[in-house]
Amino acid sequence: MAAIEVASLSKAYGNVVALAEVDLEVQAGEIFGLVGPNGAGKTTLIRTLVGALQADSGNVKVLGLNPHADRWALRRRVGYMPQRPALYDDLSARRNIAFFTHRIEGTGVDEALALVELTDRADDPLHTLSGGMQQRVSLAAALAHRPELLLLDEPTAGVDPELRATFWERIRELADGGRTVVVSTHQMAEAMACDRVAILRSGRVLVCDDPRRLLGGGRATVRIWRNGRPEDHQLENYASALAPLIRTGDVERIEVEQETLEDVVLRLIKGSDGR
Amino acid sequence: MEGSTAVAGRALAQLRADPRFLAISLVVPLVVIFLLSVFFDAVDTPAFNQSRYALPAAAFIIHFVTYVLTTIVLVRERVTGTLERMFISGYRPTDVVLGYLLAYTAVATVQSVVILVELNLLFDLGVGLVGLAAVFLVMWLLAVLSMALGLFISNFARNEGQVIPFIPMVMVPSIFLSGLAVSVDALPGWARALSRIVPLRYAVDALREVPSGGGLTGGPVVMLAVLILLALLLASRTLREQV
Repeated sequence: MAAIEVASLSKAYGNVVALAEVDLEVQAGEIFGLVGPNGAGKTTLIRTLVGALQADSGNVKVLGLNPHADRWALRRRVGYMPQRPALYDDLSARRNIAFFTHRIEGTGVDEALALVELTDRADDPLHTLSGGMQQRVSLAAALAHRPELLLLDEPTAGVDPELRATFWERIRELADGGRTVVVSTHQMAEAMACDRVAILRSGRVLVCDDPRRLLGGGRATVRIWRNGRPEDHQLENYASALAPLIRTGDVERIEVEQETLEDVVLRLIKGSDGR
Repeated sequence: MEGSTAVAGRALAQLRADPRFLAISLVVPLVVIFLLSVFFDAVDTPAFNQSRYALPAAAFIIHFVTYVLTTIVLVRERVTGTLERMFISGYRPTDVVLGYLLAYTAVATVQSVVILVELNLLFDLGVGLVGLAAVFLVMWLLAVLSMALGLFISNFARNEGQVIPFIPMVMVPSIFLSGLAVSVDALPGWARALSRIVPLRYAVDALREVPSGGGLTGGPVVMLAVLILLALLLASRTLREQV
């Protein structure tokens, strides 16, 4: 079942096109990444999905409902973490989480605090917490009401690498628990942790696929050792091109220098600029 | 209703956590009213009737401070993104407007009492206990109206900087059109018409009735209440969910 269906969605701010004819489908229970540089349209897309923005044209269904017209019905079922923490500085983490989930039944403030490992700082004023901790409070405030769908706008921006890793473990746990997670990022390593990614550029979706498959479609320099001698190959479609090469002869060793997802994305982006 | 009490509870918790803001909203009017008494004492001519101007001038100060503080608090919510987050979390515009009104009415009540005590100490108001109660009612209604007006006006500003032009725009005409300085009847017809929507006008009218021994006739007080409802309605209607 599709949790989100987006069809030819467009949105402009004056003359600036934020989203142009975007088509997307997010399946229930998957982690879906929105990847792209600043200004690619990630935030506009997420804010449209959460009903905070109205699209100019196109069709959007979130959990089968219209995100703007049915926004009050959806708010119990969707959790949203904005790019900035958007919390009350002078109040505690507990108070913030309780306030932002107050109207929704089944609220689990303590559970959310435990999930982001902030139980021991729960009652300190937010301004005494580090930036990364505030990000975690913001995440907790997005998921304390146990939403079916989580929309996270650059949740790990400004968070140190170690914390980022635990953060992604949590997101994976949430998805394993049956929740759908849409997350925007410009970190390629994070994109690799998603089940599928849409790569955005100037409001367009360049490609939408499993990041591992995208990587497999990238270029690679492969050195294959047969009978003690190396042979070098430049492969275009790494994953499919490698298989026939190693099927024949006595392959002793393979060295692969593969393009990173970042390189693949950059190549796609350069291609889209040359239109 | 549940939403507005949650907003009120949160706003009061913030006031407790930020005593400086609370102190400013209580102490600033007291200091200004003290300066006013110094100024009035210096204007020592027989033609100047202190009691005619003391209460209306104090009302203006309450109006000014309450209006400015409310507007800034709301715009700060817009700037930090918490206003949008409230809406996305299921709070509705009426919850926000009524919640703030509930919380800040508590502040306005304390403010009105404190100011009334100060006025009674500094000026010869020439009113009895009943008169003081009437003055309290008017001051309190004006403070609530100033908040409602601040909630409404804040919807037209995207950031703190944009709030600034709205302060003189509302406050300066108030001085001329409320009857504080010159009688409304002496103004040209269009200005008299405009004065009908000036909150301070009704407060000045009501407060001048009290020292003359007449007590409240009700008209201006009813108008203050009507304007409160109007401002609240406008505030919830114009509160944009999109930031």
